[in-house]
Amino acid sequence: MVNSMVEIKKYSIQLGKFKLKNINLNICEKEIFAVLGRTGSGKTVLLESVAGFYRSFSGEVTIQGQQVIDIPLEKREIGFVYQDFGLFPHMTVYDNITYGLKIRRKDKEYKKKMADRMAEILSIGHILNQYPGTLSGGERQRTALARALILEPKLLLMDEPFSSLDPATKETMYQQIKKIHEIFGCTILFVTHDFNEAQIMADRIGIMVNGELKGIRKSADLFESYQDEEITEFLSGFQERRMCI
Amino acid sequence: MRKRFSVFDFFELFTIIITIIVIIFSSTLILAIVLKGLPYLGEAFYSEEVRFSIKLSLYTATISTVICMALAIPTAYALTRTSFPFKKLCQIIIELPLSMPYLVLGLSLLIIFSSDFGKALKSMGFKVVFDKNGIILAQTVVNLPYVIRFIRTAFEEVDERLEFISGSLGATKWERFITITLPLSKNAIITTIILAWSRGLGEFGATLMLVGATRMKTETLTTSVYLNLATGDTGASMASATVILIISLISLFVTNWIGKKNTQESRMKDVKSW
Ligand SMILES: Nc1ncnc2c1ncn2[C@@H]1O[C@H](COP(=O)(O)OP(=O)(O)O)[C@@H](O)[C@H]1O
Ligand SMILES: [Mg+2]
Repeated sequence: MVNSMVEIKKYSIQLGKFKLKNINLNICEKEIFAVLGRTGSGKTVLLESVAGFYRSFSGEVTIQGQQVIDIPLEKREIGFVYQDFGLFPHMTVYDNITYGLKIRRKDKEYKKKMADRMAEILSIGHILNQYPGTLSGGERQRTALARALILEPKLLLMDEPFSSLDPATKETMYQQIKKIHEIFGCTILFVTHDFNEAQIMADRIGIMVNGELKGIRKSADLFESYQDEEITEFLSGFQERRMCI
Repeated sequence: MRKRFSVFDFFELFTIIITIIVIIFSSTLILAIVLKGLPYLGEAFYSEEVRFSIKLSLYTATISTVICMALAIPTAYALTRTSFPFKKLCQIIIELPLSMPYLVLGLSLLIIFSSDFGKALKSMGFKVVFDKNGIILAQTVVNLPYVIRFIRTAFEEVDERLEFISGSLGATKWERFITITLPLSKNAIITTIILAWSRGLGEFGATLMLVGATRMKTETLTTSVYLNLATGDTGASMASATVILIISLISLFVTNWIGKKNTQESRMKDVKSW
């Protein structure tokens, strides 16, 4: 049997008017899982819940069998790439990327070596001395990815990580993430609204509709028929576009 | 055709006129002191009394600012980043003195420190009433609620998601505070330090109640203005006032200068208006 990495059981949380309802999900070790859904459907809240951002909820979220909120944040070994990137504005790109290494008291040479390697993979070598405020959207995104990947986390959570990259960079990023996934054997849970991206990257896909996670499938079966009308409606938009291609 | 600078935008015109009135008003205030005080300034620096009060003011304001910051930073952190019962109530109690006149604050200090508790402290060697310590205490008590409020606001403005990310990258709460929260509120903290310091220099009401106004003993700059005016020595009074004014102006410039720094962190550095 394959070990499970993330287990979400009967998880619900109320945030203002929005409610994430009765989420049940099991993500295996080394799996890549994609969550598809419209804006405002609760994808970010789901990722933050897995990371243990919220304190008052019902149900449970465990990582390798441990309640996530019982693990001190700094020991969770989660890489989190935020939708708005969450770069530290007062640090250069280099300092952003090597932040986790600095916290771990790694020496200068090691930091330099790792940063250069990440910069190479994500082609951000030319902006290492710039501040996040001066970067373009795609550069910010790659910096945020580098900062999370440099620590080789066992669980990588990514919120629309490729949304502001151009198609060519996206393709390379897919390959790079897959390579990183193979080398480090991390588990990846990511959010996207691009079905194509979900199918290329993920082993399985779940669809988020109004705070509910529905129709969890192998990614190859994404467009198989569903019982649920909301999912059918959600996917039909994609399917029409696919017909056109 | 639309003109580039429309003089007929009444709203803009209105705000500009009001601004001019305010400028005239404030510059008259400043000029009154400067013109009257400048002739006495040279003399003032040779006066032992003025030199004493400058030293006393700088010393007490500096110590009270250090104490305020040392108390306010942890308090502001606790108020914004931790959860404990009755937090809202605690915050109200902490900031209650904001609405109290300083004279009244000074009076309550006097009551506390002339009680048996104060006498016990005095016998242990810590004098407050009619002593330099009292000046520091008065400035601290008057400034603390302000300083806590400013720093609390500064901490509140730091995006907690950045701290969360920092934590997920392995930083403990202390490391998150040192590497994220504190640097991101750096400007506000420096501004608060300068503000607390110049407010300390200008404190009078609470100080007067607690330590009185004794020449060459508890004579701060503001006390000096008051004492000299009361005894009819307008010149000395003006000189002390001018010294206060100069110190305030310097701190104002430093505050503004700090506000202008750190532009390389943004794309807007070359853009003045749009
Ligand atoms: N802390 C919060 N308080 C109130 N409402 C929230 C909060 N966080 C998210 N929401 C709401 O929850 C809904 C889902 O948000 P989100 O998960 O960010 O959507 P998305 O699927 O686009 O990532 C949105 O309508 C958002 O406004
Ligand atoms: Mg989102």
